[in-house]
Amino acid sequence: MILARHAEAMFWAGRYLERAETTVRCLEFEAASNMHLRPAQADLEWRRLVRALGLEGELRAAGGLSDRHEVVRFLLLDASNPGSATSAAQAVRENLRTVRDRVPIELWEEANALHLRLQALSSGSEALREPHDVFLMVRRACLALSGVLNEAMRRDEGHAMIVIGRTLERAIFTTNLLESSLADPTGALGATRLLRLTSSLQAYRRRHGHSLDPDVAVLFLLVAPDLPRSVLSCLVRSEECLKDLASTALALDLARRKAGLLRARLELGEIESALGFDAVETVSSLGAELASLAEEVLMGVIPPSATPSVRSHFLRPGEIPPNAIQ
Amino acid sequence: MAGLFERYTPGPGFDEAFEPDGTVRPAYRRVVERFRGLDQHEIHRLEGLVAEEFRRQGITFTVYGGDEGTERTWPMDLFPRLVEAVEWDELATGLAQRIKALNCFLADLYTGEGAALADGIVPRWLVTSSRGFERNAFGIRVAHGAHCSIAGIDLVRDDSGRYRVLEDNLRNPSGISYVVENRAATAKAFPRLFDDHTVQPVEQYGRMLRSTLESMAPASAAASPHVVVLTPGVFNSAYFEHVFLARSMGVELVEGRDLVVDDHVVYARTIEGLVRVDVIYRRIDDDFLDPVAFRPESTLGVPGLLAALRAGTVTVCNAVGNGVADDKAFYPYVTDLIRYYLDAEPIIDNVTTYMMWDPPQRAGALARLDELVAKPVSESGGHGVLIGPHASRAELAETRAAIEAEPRNWVAQEVVELSSLPALADDRLEPRRLDLRPFVLTGETTQVFPGGLTRVAMRRGSLIVNSSAGGGSKDTWILASDMQ
Repeated sequence: MILARHAEAMFWAGRYLERAETTVRCLEFEAASNMHLRPAQADLEWRRLVRALGLEGELRAAGGLSDRHEVVRFLLLDASNPGSATSAAQAVRENLRTVRDRVPIELWEEANALHLRLQALSSGSEALREPHDVFLMVRRACLALSGVLNEAMRRDEGHAMIVIGRTLERAIFTTNLLESSLADPTGALGATRLLRLTSSLQAYRRRHGHSLDPDVAVLFLLVAPDLPRSVLSCLVRSEECLKDLASTALALDLARRKAGLLRARLELGEIESALGFDAVETVSSLGAELASLAEEVLMGVIPPSATPSVRSHFLRPGEIPPNAIQ
Repeated sequence: MAGLFERYTPGPGFDEAFEPDGTVRPAYRRVVERFRGLDQHEIHRLEGLVAEEFRRQGITFTVYGGDEGTERTWPMDLFPRLVEAVEWDELATGLAQRIKALNCFLADLYTGEGAALADGIVPRWLVTSSRGFERNAFGIRVAHGAHCSIAGIDLVRDDSGRYRVLEDNLRNPSGISYVVENRAATAKAFPRLFDDHTVQPVEQYGRMLRSTLESMAPASAAASPHVVVLTPGVFNSAYFEHVFLARSMGVELVEGRDLVVDDHVVYARTIEGLVRVDVIYRRIDDDFLDPVAFRPESTLGVPGLLAALRAGTVTVCNAVGNGVADDKAFYPYVTDLIRYYLDAEPIIDNVTTYMMWDPPQRAGALARLDELVAKPVSESGGHGVLIGPHASRAELAETRAAIEAEPRNWVAQEVVELSSLPALADDRLEPRRLDLRPFVLTGETTQVFPGGLTRVAMRRGSLIVNSSAGGGSKDTWILASDMQ
């Protein structure tokens, strides 16, 4: 049994954990690769990353970007940017804080420690001269959190909710990234970038060799069954968790069915064939369906509303209700 | 080595570790020896370890309106407090006696015939005019008469080292999480300290509490009752403790919005729908428990909870209305209640207290207010307390006027020089004053938990040990007797 509120908090903890990890992984890659580009080209790459992370509005609100250091700060440490790694780490911590009594102590401690370290950095002034140490620190903390989740946590409803949150966030990010890349194709270079941002390049090479075909790369990220970051793998894991939950939490059955249908369309090639007609549209609508699946999960978590009778609330002092246990 | 005890002079009042002539008391010999083996550098390192451990684990309390972030760790001083087995056994008997009498009174008042009032042991007007007196509690039956299932009793030691009760906390006594975490932190930072002692363990609190709460379940509950801890939420200053309680018992930590009452039955909102709740260990005050019965604007509680209580489908611990018996105005009567209900002499005495609503006592106290401590009866955390010997003339006059205006709201007490123990101040150990809060659990039986929260004033000469006033804490060792 899990409280609806706890289930919701764990879902979000999972999403934000994935978010923090993704943001830092992307930053690490961009910071290294954009160094060799001409400023105008580097600027373009940064913008693309910001778009894939869904933070264009936030960036505008922050007054745009003038140099590399500022973008890194904006995405890594800016606490006023709700999409920064620091904000994500804080959200992980705040959500786990409300469920501290039911997660392994180490999970909370790691999340708390990561939050405290990032908070100290974001209030300090000179942290970003060597951002790589920070990237490494965050990445390691995220790995430690994943390790605790996988190795130390009971496979209960809370664990399932964290996994659903994580895998859906991951699938949504992958589709966003694909969409922004398909909308603005840059050939083999773009494909490398795509694979590295999802840390799938090595896996791709093992599977498909060294020649990079952008179409094959897109398909790889969508339907490779053995790649943990592919949209299909994410859906398979979400569906498994939803299946476990829905056996007792009946309201989650709708989300389970939705996940299953989406998974089947990827698995049986429907999405693959649609890509041939209009790739951008296909990926974009896949993204929308994933987002609505995430909402469906939250709807299923909130229990059927109980409507207490008004009468049951009002009793005079000393009055014994009719159904009292004598 | 000059060391940490350089220039240590046994402290004002009773020094628990040192005789007045500076020799170490037998119980503390080995602990003092261990500390003599440390230098400044080493002890600061150990202190750092403890502070870091608390911060990493997020063992914090929230400071309302504080500037430096809202979560703060509570400093723990490394020098432990020891209570010898014989001494503890007597204390435990006295504490159980006191709680039994207080529970007798609460049951007598709310579900019995009010015998103590009828027999004039406590004035009826004093009880009915108490802020903690709760008409809504009438008719709510409480299993085993255990209105107070979890009590924290504040003890101090006077000049001669005798324990006395300073205050009863019968509503939501907090601090037990620090008892357990302080022990864990001390064991991690300074394991050698335990080498020559047999200390009673403290980590069994969750198990004890859970079985106490389960024994309070209503008749309708299943064989294994569904127990939950009710917290006001993450912004509450004691949130860490609420987490600790739920985790150490292995039960859910719920907020008011997670519970719903339908047809006089309390349910938790889970992803599987509504699940019936049997026992609620609530860590929110009476006033916030049920907006239908109490403050209508509060969102912390559960609408209809009180009706469910009256229907007997759920148990709330501690029971509603306990505040009447831990009022400072009620305190002077507790020793008489022990005699009345248990036909026994109190084992632990009160501090000598004068009731300002009694004209002769008031006249006597006002004449020597500069030698006494005056306390407003319904404040907590040291607010409004006047310490006569330290007060200015203006403060004395102000309090005198307040007492004369509303004598019902004041008590005066003889000053108790709290006992002291060495605590780290900068680079060496100095005597600091302390109190002790043991915890008493009552369900089917009454059990005194073998440990307690020692609070310590961190400033020289200070008599105030509250965490909100810059106090700290100490790991408290109840030594096992040779038989155990």
